[in-house]
Amino acid sequence: MSKELSKVRNIGISAHIDSGKTTLTERILFYTNKIHAIHDVKGKDGVGAVMDSMELEKERGITIASAATFCEWNDHAINIIDTPGHVDFTIEVERSLRVLDGAILVLCSVGGVQSQSITVDQQMKRYKVPCIAFVNKCDRSGANPERVVSQLKEKLGHNAIAMQLPIGLEAAHEGVVDLVTMEALYFDGENGEIIRREEIPAELQEKAEERREELIEMASNYCDDLAEAFLEEQEISPDMILQAMRKGVLKREVTPVYIGSAYKNKGVQPLMDAATQLLPDPSEVTNIALDLDRDEAEVVLSSSSEDPTVALAFKLEDGQYGQLTYIRVYQGVLAKGDTLINTRSGKKIKIGRLVQMHSNQMEDINEISAGYIGALFGIDCASGDTFADPKLNYSMTSMFVPNPVISLALVPKDNKSQINMSKALNRFSKEDPTFRTYVDEETNETIIEGMGELHLEVYVERMQREYNAEVNTGQPRVAYRETITKRADFNYTHKKQTGGSGQYGRVAGYIEPFADGEFEFINKITGGAIPTQFISSCEKGFKASLAKGALMEFPVTGIRVEINDGASHAVDSSEMAFQAAARGAFIDAYKRAKPVIHEPIMKVVIETPTEFQGTVMGTINQRRGTILGAQEEGPMCVVECQVPLAEMFGYSTVLRSSTQGKAQFTMEFANYKQVPQSITEELQKKRDEEAKKGAA
Amino acid sequence: MLKKDLMMRNPLRAVSDANGYILPEGGLGAVVARAGVGKTALLVQLSLNSLLKGDNALHISLGDPVRKVSLWYREVFNNIGTHYKIDKIDDLWNELLPQRFIMTFNIDGFSVPRLDERLTELADQDIFHPQMILIDGLPFNEQLKRTDLHALKDLSEKFNSHIWFTVRSHRHEEPDAEGLPIQISEYADLLDVAIKLEPEDNEIRLNVLKGSGSISTQDLSLDPATMLIKE
Repeated sequence: MSKELSKVRNIGISAHIDSGKTTLTERILFYTNKIHAIHDVKGKDGVGAVMDSMELEKERGITIASAATFCEWNDHAINIIDTPGHVDFTIEVERSLRVLDGAILVLCSVGGVQSQSITVDQQMKRYKVPCIAFVNKCDRSGANPERVVSQLKEKLGHNAIAMQLPIGLEAAHEGVVDLVTMEALYFDGENGEIIRREEIPAELQEKAEERREELIEMASNYCDDLAEAFLEEQEISPDMILQAMRKGVLKREVTPVYIGSAYKNKGVQPLMDAATQLLPDPSEVTNIALDLDRDEAEVVLSSSSEDPTVALAFKLEDGQYGQLTYIRVYQGVLAKGDTLINTRSGKKIKIGRLVQMHSNQMEDINEISAGYIGALFGIDCASGDTFADPKLNYSMTSMFVPNPVISLALVPKDNKSQINMSKALNRFSKEDPTFRTYVDEETNETIIEGMGELHLEVYVERMQREYNAEVNTGQPRVAYRETITKRADFNYTHKKQTGGSGQYGRVAGYIEPFADGEFEFINKITGGAIPTQFISSCEKGFKASLAKGALMEFPVTGIRVEINDGASHAVDSSEMAFQAAARGAFIDAYKRAKPVIHEPIMKVVIETPTEFQGTVMGTINQRRGTILGAQEEGPMCVVECQVPLAEMFGYSTVLRSSTQGKAQFTMEFANYKQVPQSITEELQKKRDEEAKKGAA
Repeated sequence: MLKKDLMMRNPLRAVSDANGYILPEGGLGAVVARAGVGKTALLVQLSLNSLLKGDNALHISLGDPVRKVSLWYREVFNNIGTHYKIDKIDDLWNELLPQRFIMTFNIDGFSVPRLDERLTELADQDIFHPQMILIDGLPFNEQLKRTDLHALKDLSEKFNSHIWFTVRSHRHEEPDAEGLPIQISEYADLLDVAIKLEPEDNEIRLNVLKGSGSISTQDLSLDPATMLIKE
């Protein structure tokens, strides 16, 4: 943990589901001597890959939680974050990207750039993470790394350049030609651990020279000395090329592409070399914190171990010994026995046990220096919290957290499950900010909310497996909203005189649609028509009215309220009276403001063989979807569309059965749109029926 | 109301017939220009003109991904919104969206029978019936046969539609004896309208090379800042 910062790499492995990133991580850990045997992802041998530490992940062959692990390669300390590939878990991906300095974008040499890769790539762009690409699965039939390089250029807009050439593809994939050193690399031994360097096979020599020239030409854009040497046809050393490429990578202007097959143990070690040679060290990345004492002014953190400590908790896990908090230290040192402040809660925390993680095995350490990732025990915090030296009141920039779009009612099967369920829910909502939970006051049911059907399903399953909580689930419910479409004036008097002290308050003004947010309250009262002390009561009253709209009891959003007149009574006016007046005014004006129902619309991207294109479009058409376009690429076609979430339940089954299981789709929230009149009527009917059932 | 208002102020109205069309049913039109002068921008405006009229437009791009084509539409539409000071541009955009369909092919993967197959599939399932087809990026070179254009003309008649193409010209090439760019000279008899975009001073002129009626007499240009048509 005391390596100089230039020899530290915090890297992520980001990719589409099933492109083999967990297998790749597994191989990396094997070659760095962190594990001593290789297991398959799907757990054929009952052990499963090390990075997939959760049971459920082992079973599904997918990575859900991003475990951080530490290893060493070529005298460099490397922290690897294994990121989930499914779009429903993007908060995990985004949270991981926040703490990374560089990433390896893994692509499948058969599937190429798929819709999920586009999402992951956009996230990398958002957090400005420099990356190198690895075209995996070159041993598969249909492998075509060159096509993937051109897709990286065309579909993702990367300035991609091959750093290697494959020696044989599909079943004949033997190794790679390194275009920097101009050597052929073969991977011998039972697990490819012995690298044999030989001359480039004669049939590839010409192609390799051609490609090397292209590579040097590209690299010379980032280094004048190299450009000069290239033009004067001087000898160019591998180091010159790598240094120039590194500059391009750090600027995110070029993406070097490596190839191989992690499963067949080919090309992994050169990729590790590249990660240490081309990706940035923590001091080369600008990290910004917000100074809460100076109105959230931005402060650049120093990445020096001498300065006061600033660290971010980016992931929580429930371990055997209590809560395990993964943290990245951005500045200063975090050592055992230190006292820091959690800037969100203002609570003091004392650092107890510190560990370095190797997936679910750990190693005790005494301190974590700036630029490093580690984990600590026994700290009560939420994911995304900042720990800082008591002298600083810094918070790391807040992450964008979308509102949930779907909810599900949970009913525990027995008392024991009830207790376990609340433990699990408490943990999950701390771990994942897009997962929320509350108790519905009317039905007394526990409701969970999240970003998609699969997102909630995974948590329900985890509840059963990890916490032994047996629950029955209700039908998923879409998070509909109400809003108004036109301005309506109000002038409402709340007056009550039925014994005791009376209540009096009058408010006048208008409500109108507000596109830029959920709610805005404007006070334009002049001359004390409503005494100042009652203004906040008016706002409270209006806010309280938003919880349930008068149309169908959905939450109301996108409303601006302005009050500009009113009246009070010296004795009978009170905070309560004005709150009641505001509620009355809202109900009165709301009906006249033409309220409508809005529903969440999802952006759905479907990849299908061309022969099923028509069928797939048919399924979208039946679901009130709008097809934005269809993109044909050889045998595959990508259909982009927008579909209401309410129509997407069970779509994966429909898609599978109508395309012989050959199509797949991803879905993410796009926006809210008005529900058509006919659907509103249906919703109303359904609600009435439910109300009747409830009454009976 | 908003749509009607935009239609009334649309400069393309002056060059359209009473029903708002520039090309006859089954007709073919070409927008010729050098790279980067504004072919796609003009094509998108022709398409938006048709969408505002309530017609469906199929935009076929050979090369660009759907996302990029969508971006073109959004960009041009936002510029129109700013230019004509429209308030609820998002609502109008959402209204138009279902009328537009983008299809993209690799240049090698595109053929008229394939397009016919796709369109028939869409029409049979009642998913989309285009009244206007725009083909961006079809190479007008020695590989393009007259029979291909004949086939496209038949296709356009079959779907009661009309087709606009973009044609890329080159700076160094001289026009043919008729004054037409060499890319289209061989197919001139098949085209009903041909417009050439040419940068001139601070604007881009729309020179009508071929056409009949009002289109040939109108004086139109593109504003290089917004790429919108000016009168």
